[in-house]
Amino acid sequence: MSRKLGALALALGILVGAMELKTLVTAHSKGAVIMANGVSPVPVKLPPAN
Amino acid sequence: MGAGVCFVASAIRRSSFLKYFFLNLYVILSLCADLLRQFVLRFYGLDSSEYSYAYYYTDCLLTVALFVAVISLASRVFAELNLGKHVRTVAVLLLLGTAGFSYAVVAQSAHRLVTMFAFELSQNLYFVGLVLTYLLWGAVLKLQETRTRVVQMVLSLGLYFSAYAGSFALANLAPKYVFVQYLGPILGCFLPISWSLTLLRHSEDSRLTPARLVAVPR
Repeated sequence: MSRKLGALALALGILVGAMELKTLVTAHSKGAVIMANGVSPVPVKLPPAN
Repeated sequence: MGAGVCFVASAIRRSSFLKYFFLNLYVILSLCADLLRQFVLRFYGLDSSEYSYAYYYTDCLLTVALFVAVISLASRVFAELNLGKHVRTVAVLLLLGTAGFSYAVVAQSAHRLVTMFAFELSQNLYFVGLVLTYLLWGAVLKLQETRTRVVQMVLSLGLYFSAYAGSFALANLAPKYVFVQYLGPILGCFLPISWSLTLLRHSEDSRLTPARLVAVPR
């Protein structure tokens, strides 16, 4: 039981840390996006229509 | 694209395809995604909606594959401590948590919900992968991992994520310079090249030599 709770706590910790990091990194972004896959050029259009 | 083919070929030649199956799967998916993107790019152009959809959907798929590749390396690192099962549990929880969080962010927007979800999941999973890789770096150092291939593959992943974060920072700091937009595609070749070199230069039994002990005079 404690190991399951430990795994849950670890997963939550990593998720919170990652989202904190994302907030820090993208807070001052000027519309650029992080796309870390492949060698193709990043499209001009962004899909999110906020 | 050639780098990816080189990695898969060297994995098959060194009989390591199944040992590093998820790394190979990521590289193969990356090759397929690049082919699809080039096909759509040629027919519809860079500023078309079709290319945007093809790019962001394949990116989401690739980010999930890269996440699974990081988890497979983590399972290898923690296998000797019999923590493989817990690593998989954490991975599933992380994936579900990230998907849930991404959905919560985009749920307000009924318009293009699936596309926005794919985009958000891809971005969030990238940062989760970044944090996981640094934790894995820490674990490799703490556990004094000596398997050369595992160590070099984890180090390559860390450098890859860090380089992308650096290129993202540059894109924000100096968007007017043309070279910034070529950084991403150049970095895309880095991971398969470094993994190929690792497979070609080191065998599965290669071990890193621990640092020599310093003789302290009494």
